[in-house]
Amino acid sequence: MGSCSSHAASIPDWDDIRRETGFSQASLVRLHHRFRALDCNKKGYLCRMDLQQIGALAVNPLGDRIIDSFFPDGSHSVDFRGFVRILAHFRPVEDEGTGIRDPKEPEPLNSRMNKLRFAFQLYDLDRDGKISRHEMLQVLRLMVGAQVTEEQLESIADRTVQEADEDGDGAVSFLEFAKTLEKMNVEQKMSIRILK
Amino acid sequence: MAHKPELGAPQMAARTSVACSQLQFPGDRSRRKTSKKQTSKAEGTSGRHRAQSGQKEEAGGNLRPGSPRRKQSERRRRQEELGEQKRSPAGRNLEGRRKRDGKASFRGQRVPPEKEKEVPKEETWKQLKKHRSTSLASSASGGESLSEEELTWILEQVEEKKKLIATMRNKPWPMAKKLTELREAQAFVEKYEGALGKGKGKRLYAYRMLMAKKWVKFKRDFGNFKTQCIPWEMKIKDIESHFGSSVASYFIFLRWMYGVNLVLFGLIFGLIIIPEVLMGMPYGSIPRKTVPRAEEEKAMDFSVLWDFEGYIKYSALFYGYYNNQRTIGWLRYRLPMAYFMVGVSVFGYSLMIVIRSMASNTQGSTSEGENDNFTFSFKMFTSWDYLIGNSETADNKYASITTSFKESIVDEQESNKEENIHLTRFLRVLANFLIICCLCGSGYLIYFVVKRSQEFSKMQNVSWYERNEVEIVMSLLGMFCPPLFETIAALENYHPRIGLKWQLGRIFALFLGNLYTFLLALMDDVHLKLSNEDTVKNITHWTLFNYYNSSGWNESVPRPPLHPADVPRGSCWETAVGIEFMRLTVSDMLVTYITILLGDFLRACFVRFMNYCWCWDLEAGFPSYAEFDISGNVLGLIFNQGMIWMGSFYAPGLVGVNVLRLLTSMYFQCWAVMSSNVPHERVFKASRSNNFYMGLLLLVLFLSLLPVAYTIMSLPPSFDCGPFSGKNRMYDVIQETIENDFPTFLGKIFAFLANPGLIIPAILLMFLAIYYLNSVSKSLARANAQLRKKIQALREVEKSHKSVKGSAMVKDSGYTLKGSSKNATQFQLTKEGTTLHSSSQSQTPDQKAQGPGTSSSAGRTSLSTTKHIPVSPPPRDSGQPLPQTHPWRSASGKSARRPPPDN
Repeated sequence: MGSCSSHAASIPDWDDIRRETGFSQASLVRLHHRFRALDCNKKGYLCRMDLQQIGALAVNPLGDRIIDSFFPDGSHSVDFRGFVRILAHFRPVEDEGTGIRDPKEPEPLNSRMNKLRFAFQLYDLDRDGKISRHEMLQVLRLMVGAQVTEEQLESIADRTVQEADEDGDGAVSFLEFAKTLEKMNVEQKMSIRILK
Repeated sequence: MAHKPELGAPQMAARTSVACSQLQFPGDRSRRKTSKKQTSKAEGTSGRHRAQSGQKEEAGGNLRPGSPRRKQSERRRRQEELGEQKRSPAGRNLEGRRKRDGKASFRGQRVPPEKEKEVPKEETWKQLKKHRSTSLASSASGGESLSEEELTWILEQVEEKKKLIATMRNKPWPMAKKLTELREAQAFVEKYEGALGKGKGKRLYAYRMLMAKKWVKFKRDFGNFKTQCIPWEMKIKDIESHFGSSVASYFIFLRWMYGVNLVLFGLIFGLIIIPEVLMGMPYGSIPRKTVPRAEEEKAMDFSVLWDFEGYIKYSALFYGYYNNQRTIGWLRYRLPMAYFMVGVSVFGYSLMIVIRSMASNTQGSTSEGENDNFTFSFKMFTSWDYLIGNSETADNKYASITTSFKESIVDEQESNKEENIHLTRFLRVLANFLIICCLCGSGYLIYFVVKRSQEFSKMQNVSWYERNEVEIVMSLLGMFCPPLFETIAALENYHPRIGLKWQLGRIFALFLGNLYTFLLALMDDVHLKLSNEDTVKNITHWTLFNYYNSSGWNESVPRPPLHPADVPRGSCWETAVGIEFMRLTVSDMLVTYITILLGDFLRACFVRFMNYCWCWDLEAGFPSYAEFDISGNVLGLIFNQGMIWMGSFYAPGLVGVNVLRLLTSMYFQCWAVMSSNVPHERVFKASRSNNFYMGLLLLVLFLSLLPVAYTIMSLPPSFDCGPFSGKNRMYDVIQETIENDFPTFLGKIFAFLANPGLIIPAILLMFLAIYYLNSVSKSLARANAQLRKKIQALREVEKSHKSVKGSAMVKDSGYTLKGSSKNATQFQLTKEGTTLHSSSQSQTPDQKAQGPGTSSSAGRTSLSTTKHIPVSPPPRDSGQPLPQTHPWRSASGKSARRPPPDN
């Protein structure tokens, strides 16, 4: 562990990151390794190209969206802190300590709402807080491809909006999104167990 | 007090007592300095008795403040005892001096140094922990780990010292001696308790953690293993992703059937065939186990064996091979009894398993159906598995998402379809009428042909066609009727799922005709053989009598027994029936495979490769690729199973053949589907509970139970073959067992139970129970449906309520926002509202910084848009951080509670 701790010390804002994301030391170190492995030119930050090299993202229809989610505010680079912050959404939820938390403290990044928010963001292309029919169609096209006719795709999108939309504005807001997935076990499904 | 938990309990007790008595002996401290601190352990133990009680307190008092530093040094170099001992006195001296300054208020004084040392101590402790855990993990323990012997020795020592500390006060030693002793002892205990007791505790803890981790991992692996153990799961998933759940449901059914057959196979093989082979009389010992002389020459020919004649006929695979000996072998295994019981339990088990799976399917279906509200949203938002990193899996996932969407589209189209109801009704009635006509026609045709064949069978030298007329007609019907039904069913315009059920039911009715003719022919055959039996019996007796009593043989020397192959014997109708079923199963299997090979595979090859040089597009045009015929395959499977159930009593080997058949057909059909079929034009979702299949299976099971029960109950078994030969009826074996093997009172009880006066009330009671349970379940189902309706209505109300509000908001802000049209300015506005709102929210800056900017603001946008309708200052309560767990819920509840906006 000695080598790890010395390693950990080399990461800037080590304690801040830990406090914010709730990652354990070991997994932070691991993530840092991964971060450096992804960062090909040792720039100290990741750009889109770095993430696009990941093979698993290439087969993912929403791969681009996932990559986008690492670059909030349209920036072109993400440092280690931002990287970890995104991944903290997928930290499994611990059972204990949920009741004791100081109400003034911000909600942890891996809470249900934040997980949902992350998922919502994948669909919300223009980041206006709503998934419009248009955005839905784009996602559908990515997911289903050319095997379903455009007309059917449109009917699917219409149906989805119709199902989820509650205030009648023709788009799915975050609250409506959350309500749709109310029965879904988001805490478990949006957790990667290696990110303890 | 960070170090407190590290100290042992006895020490603490000692220390408190010391601290209390400290005030009584203030003058002793000067003596402490002079006392020998470098006394080795051996000296200490030898001179223990000289110590005085006053010293103890002193030592205890300064031990605590000194301990952190000591520990610090000790832990680093545990083995260097000498160095440590040199160090600790120094610490003690220092402490002593400090203590001397504040004699009276010792307790008050003691606190600050402790606090001073807390921080560095904690650090060291942490370091130590780290060090230890790493050494534990790497198991390269180096200086830390002690050998087993050392450990036990140290443990003993520690215990001894602890005892010493506890009893120090009673020792008749001088004070100085006591003090030294105590100090030594406590130092030792502290040090080695850290190394050992606590260390062991730590090690135990680390071990436990390790085991917990291992256990979690094991559970995970075991879960994976379990899924891997489900046979053909991957294959079926593969098919499901390409062809939809309806095709997969057939394969799941096939797999289930395979499981059932494996159990039956185990039952029959374990309890009948293997005991017979191991313990029964060997082949050739008695006539029923020997090939007759006339057949002997050709008995090993393949063509004979292929017809299940020759050696196969006289093997344990068939009923006739079994002997009617009551018990066999040294185990005194009651084979006839076992044979009968297994025959009964095959049906019992099958009935039970079918009904049970039907029940469990119904249970599963009720808990489903809840998510109907958000089918598309669920599919849209949650269908992709983001952990997929393999392109092949990704392809499958693509296919399955597409399929599931298609299924939902079909469902949706069906539910939204609005047509002329009268026309549909008329068409459906017409279609049913046509199909009933078809069924009646084919039924009459079958009846007619069977009648004719009975006439033909009496005539001599009939032609080939006349002999095989029934089979030809049956197969022609089977070939042409299903497509005809399908064509007619197109009129009805049902949802494909319901259409499939109708189709299944109709073909089932057709197949019943098939079954009927088969059974009829079989029964005729059996009766013919039974009528011949008496004459054969006489011939046999006559032959044997003649053989043994013929003249011209020396009366004193008994004749060698007649060779079993030469004994004339009856036709053994049970074996004939068994052979018939065996043949049918095998030919059915072959026909299925050949059909798949020709109809699907060759057609697919033709279409695929001839398409390059053909006048029209073969793939899109006429022949095209075959679709997977769900109804035909399911019915084939069900009827085949019916054959197995009927035949297994007369041919115990039949189940084994069937297991092989199911196994091969699983692989073969999986391959054929994936290689040469295309998905259905309208992919539809199979109902999760394929209770319809199960219902058909139950019906077939019942139907196949009837002939077997009939033969067991009312036909006499053959006189010279099978386990029941010589008895009047097959079930006599039970009576025999009860009489011979059970105590008499049990026999009486059984006789009493078989009394019709008892059976009829029991049956009545059962009917009553069924009626009661049925009505209860019906009322429950009604309540369930009502509740569901209520939920639906509630949701609708909420939705309309909200949409009213939403439109009100739009009006308020002066924009007209239509359903799906996007209005940039509108969003601009909401965004402004958001920023305004979010700035008013008392969010901690930390969270603002942490959220990926837009994502959190997006969430807030949605919060604000739904919550505050006019652009008025937000209500006070929303400014506070929302309840962390379910903000949306509270928000929606709020909006529901709030009165509609005043516009």
